[in-house]
Amino acid sequence: MKSIIALAAIEVFVWVALLGVTYVIAKGAFAINLGTTTLTERIATQAARVSASAVLVLVWLFAWKRVADYYLSRMLSRQQSTA
Amino acid sequence: MLDLPSAVSLGLTFAITFAVTFAATPVIAKAMRRRGIVGKDVHKLSKPEVPEMCGLAVILGLLIGATTYGFISSSVAREAAAFIGVVLVAGAIGMVDDLHPLGARIKPILTALAGIPILVLGPYVPYAEIPLVGPVRFTAVYPLLIPVAIAVTSNSVNMMDVMNGAMPATVAVISVTMVGLLLWSGDTRTATLASGLLAAMLAFYYFNRFPSKVFDGDTGSLSVGAAVGALAIFGRIEAVTIVALIPHIMNSFYGLASVRGLRERREILQRPTYLLENGQLRASTERGAPVTLARLILAAGPLGERKIVRGMVLLTIVSSLLAVVTYGITVYVK
Repeated sequence: MKSIIALAAIEVFVWVALLGVTYVIAKGAFAINLGTTTLTERIATQAARVSASAVLVLVWLFAWKRVADYYLSRMLSRQQSTA
Repeated sequence: MLDLPSAVSLGLTFAITFAVTFAATPVIAKAMRRRGIVGKDVHKLSKPEVPEMCGLAVILGLLIGATTYGFISSSVAREAAAFIGVVLVAGAIGMVDDLHPLGARIKPILTALAGIPILVLGPYVPYAEIPLVGPVRFTAVYPLLIPVAIAVTSNSVNMMDVMNGAMPATVAVISVTMVGLLLWSGDTRTATLASGLLAAMLAFYYFNRFPSKVFDGDTGSLSVGAAVGALAIFGRIEAVTIVALIPHIMNSFYGLASVRGLRERREILQRPTYLLENGQLRASTERGAPVTLARLILAAGPLGERKIVRGMVLLTIVSSLLAVVTYGITVYVK
């Protein structure tokens, strides 16, 4: 039961981070504007938006993995020390 | 609000899908055993042989349930046809994988093909409802994302199908959430199709629960995962479904990240869990072992298979509650 509570807490963290990242992408990354008059400017704007969004998603996934790795290594080392 | 004809359609689709899946599962199991299509239940000390590919019963239930709904309500024929198409294509890929295992890299590519019936029949709106932001137009990109979404949901559900009853129980929780949210949004058509998925999961759980008498195989898990993705697209609850699927995504993402990409099970030498002499499972302490949801649950200490599955269901209930909150935020905070 203890592990389920801890994993549920990780779920809540992942959810809050997902909402946060979604908001930042919509309001921040999608607000990037390098011009829309020429084709080059439009491509540059879209590429910058996609790149910024991808970086934010990677940060979210990395944070998610770090939290899970930390939990797993801590619990396994605790289990080994009590064995 | 659910009117009487919609309520009757929903009830009928649920009842027919449940009855067909429940009746077909033992028949298919018998046929599979006769043909020697069996798998070893590796989480039991006696390693019993269990009939594989019984997910065909789920496909049959969904097929007949959705077809009946398409006949009752002709205005829903396009959605029902696309839903059936998605389930059949994913099921066919699963069947091939069950009989002649596909490579770890080719399977996600092939499952993306299950999105084609949605693209062809077009029962989608290229506006995604993003929490805290509102509807966002993805006219050009949305069709490209459909096959990716189907590949992600089908493979995530497939990777969760590792213990007795885990797949039908967790997907049943997600289906209940989807039915509730779709009724809340007023989309009774997609809610009715989702009720069929719920019925199929409940009927199949009866046979697949601990100790399993049947295995669904990739035939069942890929088609069920694809069905979840299709319902999310039809009902415009994409973001909400991602939240409900957090335990499944967690399981597949951690697994893939820890073994550094798409790899076949036989390519990975270390196991995430080990069976103890008392029948319980313990988490692997090896550094290179895949990080799966079962291993994370077992990190606190050894448990029996039934308790691990209970943990997976509890985590899916938590993610489903978060999905409901997400939907509330999507609707009320813009």
